[in-house]
Amino acid sequence: MNLNEESLKKIADLAKLRIRSEEVGPFLQDFNKILNYVDTIKELDVSSITEDDLYPNSGNSVRHDKIEYGLTRQEIESFAPNFQNGYFVVPKVIET
Amino acid sequence: MKTLWKLDYSQVKSGLNSGEFTPTELAESLWERIESVDPKIQAFLSYEKEFVLKAASESTERRKNGKPLSEFDGIPIGIKDNICVANMLTTCASRILENYRSPFNATVVERLLEKGFVLFPRTNMDEFAMGSSTENSAYQVTTNPFDTTRIPGGSSGGSAAAVAASMVPVALGSDTGGSIRQPASLCGIYGLKPTYGTVSRYGLVAYASSLDQIGPLSKDLQGVVDVYSVISGKDPRDASSRNISSYDPSKQQSLKIQGLKLGVMKMSSEISPEVAKAYSEVLEKLKAEGAELIELDFSKLGSAIPIYYIIATAECSSNLSRFDGIRFGSRKDLAGKLEDLYVASRSEGFGPEVKRRILLGTFSLSAGYYDAYYGRAQKARVLIRKEYEGYFSKVDLVLQPTSPTTAFKIGEKTSDPIQMYKADILTTSVNLAGVPAISLPVGKDSQGLPIGLQVTGPELGEGKIFSFVQALSSRIDPKVDLPDTIR
Repeated sequence: MNLNEESLKKIADLAKLRIRSEEVGPFLQDFNKILNYVDTIKELDVSSITEDDLYPNSGNSVRHDKIEYGLTRQEIESFAPNFQNGYFVVPKVIET
Repeated sequence: MKTLWKLDYSQVKSGLNSGEFTPTELAESLWERIESVDPKIQAFLSYEKEFVLKAASESTERRKNGKPLSEFDGIPIGIKDNICVANMLTTCASRILENYRSPFNATVVERLLEKGFVLFPRTNMDEFAMGSSTENSAYQVTTNPFDTTRIPGGSSGGSAAAVAASMVPVALGSDTGGSIRQPASLCGIYGLKPTYGTVSRYGLVAYASSLDQIGPLSKDLQGVVDVYSVISGKDPRDASSRNISSYDPSKQQSLKIQGLKLGVMKMSSEISPEVAKAYSEVLEKLKAEGAELIELDFSKLGSAIPIYYIIATAECSSNLSRFDGIRFGSRKDLAGKLEDLYVASRSEGFGPEVKRRILLGTFSLSAGYYDAYYGRAQKARVLIRKEYEGYFSKVDLVLQPTSPTTAFKIGEKTSDPIQMYKADILTTSVNLAGVPAISLPVGKDSQGLPIGLQVTGPELGEGKIFSFVQALSSRIDPKVDLPDTIR
């Protein structure tokens, strides 16, 4: 399939990325090339694959529900771009 | 003492343990080496010399007092820039993390420190491990020590080039679709992608969680085996970590080439003639030693790259959503709305390849396309896994070239993403199946560029791979000497 400019913008919006107008053309060209390449998986017969086949050795484990070491406020402050009085500062989100 | 940097991993280890030289002398020699050749190679992203020399001097002190933490105390190791080291920069070669210093150590780093390894600063990589040439780093292009007009492979190109150019004896990389094996092959060294789940991913900045695995790169097999034995084993902090103990090299059994069943591939047009020739020569030697070569049908693996790109990009779009400019990383401060801050921080922080992959992943996970792309790719991945199960019901190990060509020129494939993706054509299926594979040097082409052999084993078959590589290494001359310009 081929993606058009409008769909690309919608996806970029979902991904929280901006594509400048001069980037749209080259991006679409590359993107559609890649899409056509990965489209070849549609030719594979996957009818025999069941849900049980998908996660054979997942063995996912969960930790016990007990308090463990977490980052301290000072550590968070050391890498946060804007952190004041124990909070991450963001632009105003509630209109008054 | 001036030339300690020339030593291979095994020589470094034995020299430290016999007291021939101290960790400080070794670290200083390697540092001089870095200062002299890294301006050409650009394998390292940051130079935190004091950090390294302090760790080396602590190790020297421990050894002087007869209290080394282990037989590895004082061995220098390079760490790829996507593996968190406390208080060191961890940028993933991305602008979005340019000032990020991790407050904690990755589990692999913790395990290395417990044994006394000396951590060298961060090796360059493709941004967020996305690439096959290390040209996608936001900071610098690493060059191949065998020819500095060529790429070292990627995404662990910094780690591979640092080891190949004798700036560290061993390094850690991460492998999502071939990112340890392909650069190891192109730089003439050994590189292991372990069985999925045997090495903790805690503290590895995730690209594609179901495929990523940390592994070692070294100039000799010993470095790979030792580091794997230190970093492997169950980690309760990684939910996908398997319930196994650390790899124990003392239990490794020797292996006879005679009678071994080896799965091999028929050469195709995608493999360059010189790579094909080197591969055939190795097979001839193995055959002469009594190995049984069984030609396998690899045609089903042809779909591995498209499957890989759908799964990897879907996981990357999800994993990289945490980079929003709010909690860590760089932030574009705007007076506008919260949404604008996200978009501006991400758009300016991520490079073009990362954006391309996030967009492809967002697309394949979006309503209306999920079943046709991501859902289908997950099922198709099972076909690949079953294909490998089929191989290992017939053969002990699978042998292929690691990379279809030797190192290509810088810039040669940057304009065509598909051609770049195809650089990993022989390695990606291994990640989809979750099985282990190593790349080892087996020769060079007419231009002196290294050629690698990929040895793939069944799940948890690392011991078998190591035994085989050991047996094979004594029958071929796997060392590829550096050109005089770097020597």
